Amino acid sequence: MNTYRSLLHTEWLKLKHYMVFKLIAIFFGIGVIATNYIVYSFNKNVVGNMQGANMIGSFSPYNFDKTWQTTSYATGWLLMLPAMLIIILITNEFTYRTMRQHIIDGWSRMDAVRVKLAMVFIFAAVSTLLVILTALGFGFASGTSFSLEGFDHVGFFFLKALTYNLIAAFIAVWIRRTGFAIGLFFIYMGAENIISQLLDVWSMQLRTSDDIDLGTLGDYLPMSASDGLLTFPANPLKTMASSVMPTYNPWVIGAFAIAYILLFLWLIRRNVLTKDL
Amino acid sequence: MDVLKVNDLVKHYGPVKALNGIGFSVPRGTVFGILGPNGSGKTTLLGIIMDVLKTTRGAYNFFGEGTGADTRRKIGTLLETPNFYHYLTAVQNLKIAASVKQRGEEDIDRVLEMVNLHQRKNSAFSTYSLGMKQRLAIASALLGNPEVLVLDEPTNGLDPVGIAEIRELIKKLHKEGKTIIMASHMLDEVEKVCTHVAILKKGNIMASGHVDEIFQHSDMIEIDASDRKALAAVMNQYPGVEQIREEESGLVVYFPPGTVTLAPVNAYCFKNGITLSKLLIKKKSLESKFIELTN
Repeated sequence: MNTYRSLLHTEWLKLKHYMVFKLIAIFFGIGVIATNYIVYSFNKNVVGNMQGANMIGSFSPYNFDKTWQTTSYATGWLLMLPAMLIIILITNEFTYRTMRQHIIDGWSRMDAVRVKLAMVFIFAAVSTLLVILTALGFGFASGTSFSLEGFDHVGFFFLKALTYNLIAAFIAVWIRRTGFAIGLFFIYMGAENIISQLLDVWSMQLRTSDDIDLGTLGDYLPMSASDGLLTFPANPLKTMASSVMPTYNPWVIGAFAIAYILLFLWLIRRNVLTKDL
Repeated sequence: MDVLKVNDLVKHYGPVKALNGIGFSVPRGTVFGILGPNGSGKTTLLGIIMDVLKTTRGAYNFFGEGTGADTRRKIGTLLETPNFYHYLTAVQNLKIAASVKQRGEEDIDRVLEMVNLHQRKNSAFSTYSLGMKQRLAIASALLGNPEVLVLDEPTNGLDPVGIAEIRELIKKLHKEGKTIIMASHMLDEVEKVCTHVAILKKGNIMASGHVDEIFQHSDMIEIDASDRKALAAVMNQYPGVEQIREEESGLVVYFPPGTVTLAPVNAYCFKNGITLSKLLIKKKSLESKFIELTN
């Protein structure tokens, strides 16, 4: 079996001259900073000057203790970019038939699985590192003192990045064609979002009409489980609304998120190890 | 010692039986041709022994030791199509191949020289012609100077000069003692290059062995003269003649294997008043033998 160092060296040889990789990486990096800057300046210049701003309190989402959560939440909207890159990189191996050639040339099928899963983890880790740096930057820009309170949201962000990347990787090894795989990924995202909202409405109805509390059912789907852990920092309006909402169980949702991660790891492994290439 | 041993290999694609329990051995130092018409199972067979296709049943091993990734690294393989990253150059692609094979990059220039691609080594793969792509795939198979080469239709897409060059390269590698397993549907390619052959038809081995044993059942000569009828009548009396067949280019005369020499035939005809305008030894038509075996 090849070492991870050797496998990742091979992967780097493919990436370092690949324009699509460079473009998406740059676009993602700029996107993270730009998205958070928009939220930061909207809150500072629009919400801060609104009549009645005092009524909802002096809520500032990029102050330390909130910056980890806000940055993780806002950046979460951009995770389709690394996921799309994962799809392109994996389906390239099928389009160019290079995964097949790597096996012929001396990789085991398990090597092919290991290196792609390593890339999934690295992309999630680098995205998380970018979140940490951005959160620090906007936290200090808000003029507040450093605090690690709320840093658990960065962990939730990592879980979300990992989930998105794994779903992308699974669709890529299953579909094998770039266009179809990207299309299916976005269709799935949209479909899950709709189903999740319908389940949320149903769980609210159960709570209000029958007094049955099954929790926020919409958060139990693959993407929604990791989405559900990342929320925008609570404000008084949301606290008022929560009195009619089903119970939010982060531990249950977290357990679902981890279970889905393990499921997709297993599905990807099984697909590459057993199918003809 | 055999380089490759295949035993009772079966592969089904749903109801389609691509391989029906085939078995053969490839002796070390041979150029072993796997010959068969399109769809006979050649690429499926090579795909299985290279672990990109899963076998339904059966076993195979290289060097009597196994079939793992370590074993495949000792073999240079071109299977079906040249598989490279279109956006990378030849050198960048070969660096990836060298990394997968755990070979050094210092061999890259040598193999590009061997296939006459050195001039275009920094051009993107996407700008290559079909023939150049095929040459690059052969260069990749040669990386690290492996003892065994598996080449699936190696002259695919090459022009006549390119075909001749690759054939010469295969012969040269054979002289260096390498074992070459080569799949082809081109009869003359197998005849010109291979020492051994297995003939495949619809997933079954129809014949396997030394090329001379498989293809040379009779000695044949082709002769011609201004009066073909007289020539045929004279040759009918020649000792050992089994059959005479008239073709457009002349008369083809069949003898028992290993019995014919040209000088006595020439002298015999001259003595009987016929001056030959053509006299040459001809192997039994590979095509006719191939058709005979696969029909």
